[in-house]
Amino acid sequence: MKRRRFIQALAAAPAAPALLAQQAPQAAQQPAPAAQDGATAEPAPLDLSTPEEGADPVLGFFSARQFATLRRLCEMLMPSGQGSPGALEARVPEFMDFLIGDSPVDRQQLWLSGLDALEYQSQTRFRKAFADTDAAQADTLFAPLHQPWTFEPPADPIARLLVAAKQDVRTATFNSFERNLAASGGTRRRSGGGLYWLPIE
Amino acid sequence: MAAPNYDVLIIGSGASGGMAAYTLTKKGIKCLMLDAGPPIDFQNNRVSKPAWELPYRGLGKPGHLAHVFQANEYNANQWVDEKQVPYTHDPSEPYNWVRVRFVGGKSLFWSRMSFRLSDYEFKAKDHDGFGDNWPISLADLAPYYDQVEPIFRVRGRKEGLKQLPDGNFIDDNTPWSPAVQKFIGEANKRSITVTKMRSSLGRGQLASSLNLLLPDALATGNLTIVPNAVVRDITVDKNTGRVNGANFLDRHSRREMHAKAKVVIVGASCLESTRILLNSGIANSSGALGHYLHDQFYITQSVQAVMPEVRNKTAPANYASGGGYIPRFRNLQTKEKDFLRGYAFDFTAGGTPDAKFFPLYGKALDDALETHRGTGFSGTCMGEVLPRFENHVRINKDVTDAWGIPVLHIQTRYTSNEFNMAKDAINTMSELCRACGWEVLARHDQPFPPGYSIHELGTCRMGDNPKTSVLNKWNQSWDIKSLFVVDGSSFVTGGSQNPTMTILSLSMRASEYMAEQMRKGEL
Repeated sequence: MKRRRFIQALAAAPAAPALLAQQAPQAAQQPAPAAQDGATAEPAPLDLSTPEEGADPVLGFFSARQFATLRRLCEMLMPSGQGSPGALEARVPEFMDFLIGDSPVDRQQLWLSGLDALEYQSQTRFRKAFADTDAAQADTLFAPLHQPWTFEPPADPIARLLVAAKQDVRTATFNSFERNLAASGGTRRRSGGGLYWLPIE
Repeated sequence: MAAPNYDVLIIGSGASGGMAAYTLTKKGIKCLMLDAGPPIDFQNNRVSKPAWELPYRGLGKPGHLAHVFQANEYNANQWVDEKQVPYTHDPSEPYNWVRVRFVGGKSLFWSRMSFRLSDYEFKAKDHDGFGDNWPISLADLAPYYDQVEPIFRVRGRKEGLKQLPDGNFIDDNTPWSPAVQKFIGEANKRSITVTKMRSSLGRGQLASSLNLLLPDALATGNLTIVPNAVVRDITVDKNTGRVNGANFLDRHSRREMHAKAKVVIVGASCLESTRILLNSGIANSSGALGHYLHDQFYITQSVQAVMPEVRNKTAPANYASGGGYIPRFRNLQTKEKDFLRGYAFDFTAGGTPDAKFFPLYGKALDDALETHRGTGFSGTCMGEVLPRFENHVRINKDVTDAWGIPVLHIQTRYTSNEFNMAKDAINTMSELCRACGWEVLARHDQPFPPGYSIHELGTCRMGDNPKTSVLNKWNQSWDIKSLFVVDGSSFVTGGSQNPTMTILSLSMRASEYMAEQMRKGEL
């Protein structure tokens, strides 16, 4: 399903009417009366959008093969379901291309070597690209994620990637616009989240 | 018109500087306070934002604030930017110097854990032979703790423990939850005491110098606060040998200024105070300035357990909630083979363990998190670090900050004493959890790098001997009588307790002494 259609479908899910109803009083508000003195009137805040809402990211860090591996990895770690967009619908692979491309070299190396190692293992064991593996095959390669968590990151490149990706992909999905939109029944809610410290001059 | 020659110049506006201003201005002493940071406005400097509006979706700008494990994308702007105020260390000896530069200092963001030190710390050498005693005892500082605790509105429960002296508390009479009662039962079987947390309630949203100390000081009309004043060095009158002010740069314009005062109090936080003194070339006839750097090692989520009886919401409401504190219990009446001193724990019951702890992913992970909602039990370990001469800071003249001021090189490392202590702590906590019938999901017995606790201490230490210490028992420089250092750098040992109440009490005590000396014409 195309991303836009997926989001539209989520917005039309059964949970939406109740949540939309909660927004109704706000929508029905009367316009604020015009200020007596136009010079002192505060302008109403504009409803602005983020770059991700209005445009598609330009990819550039991972190779085409690495990106295909990354997409499958994200899909496995955070699948969609029950009205919640998964990592693919939340455009997490595209976000990770940006994030890792903007990261220090050691983090870049962790992802590059991990994705390459995952692809190599897939080719060696299943004679197919990791992007084409079925869930059972991918799960075989995900064995490190079935091990108890340790504070020290594992040495194996695939294990290191999987441990890092489990956290980052999960966070990037939960904190995506798409997930928020679905959770709010298709409305763009700006409340919630946290208190952000502005730069202080 | 020339600027006034103030009675006292206070460098720093956090807990220690704020308390000095609070104490001195009430006695009619004219004070000038300089702080390197800007004023802060909690209403207008913060906005509510959903995570999807953040450029990095809450994961933070990569590589930014690499030493500040406490940083996230929401609070990134509250920490000192390491590119603006760098420091150096050997790559093999990392140090997490976590800094804040605002009027109010770190007291704006502290954890509020509010403890007294005991004579196990003040007279530590007498107890186990290591290091040095403080030049004061609990009896000397207790009258000041008594005054500080009501200002910060410390809530706690009196327990009568020698290693964690009671304070002037707002009584905490809240009941323990059943899960915590079970934990206490197992702890007590092993002669481990559990107490209620002792915490500063403050007023409104804050327990800070900004709202509890500085307003009263300003109300006297005796305090002038200049923000954005980055102090480079303290100046000395060559004729008298006494301090006569400080040079500083305006944070925005970098314009150089000189503030005049008869007495200087340094309370810029342990390492910044030390840096100022080292850059000034004063107060170091002992050679101890910059040495004996210590803190408390912290291991957050050192043990993460789940309570099976809470799975699938099978336990009664409020069965697992709240938390508590385990004060030091090692090396009090008995002697451990592998380490000196001791550690404490802060624990909470009833949260949901982080997803990373479950050996699952995808939908199975989501299902497990739902099953384990509210089942978590975790503890943060806080261990005493031994003060050692070789753990030190010095000026690195090859590197300067954004204002051209030479930076610190930090050289410190934990030793087998800390590592062995951490292992014992995590083994003990794991054993307690298992004895409760809880499942230990993860355990972590390696301390985070030094500095992580944000409790850096000891680099201008007090003492009885001017040959081995920087300050006398009144936080007064042995070398220059009109110079006082009132922050955590004056500590001789730190124990496992959060140091803020002790810093506040030392600052009040030093300020009262100073005021009396000024009244007598001794300063």
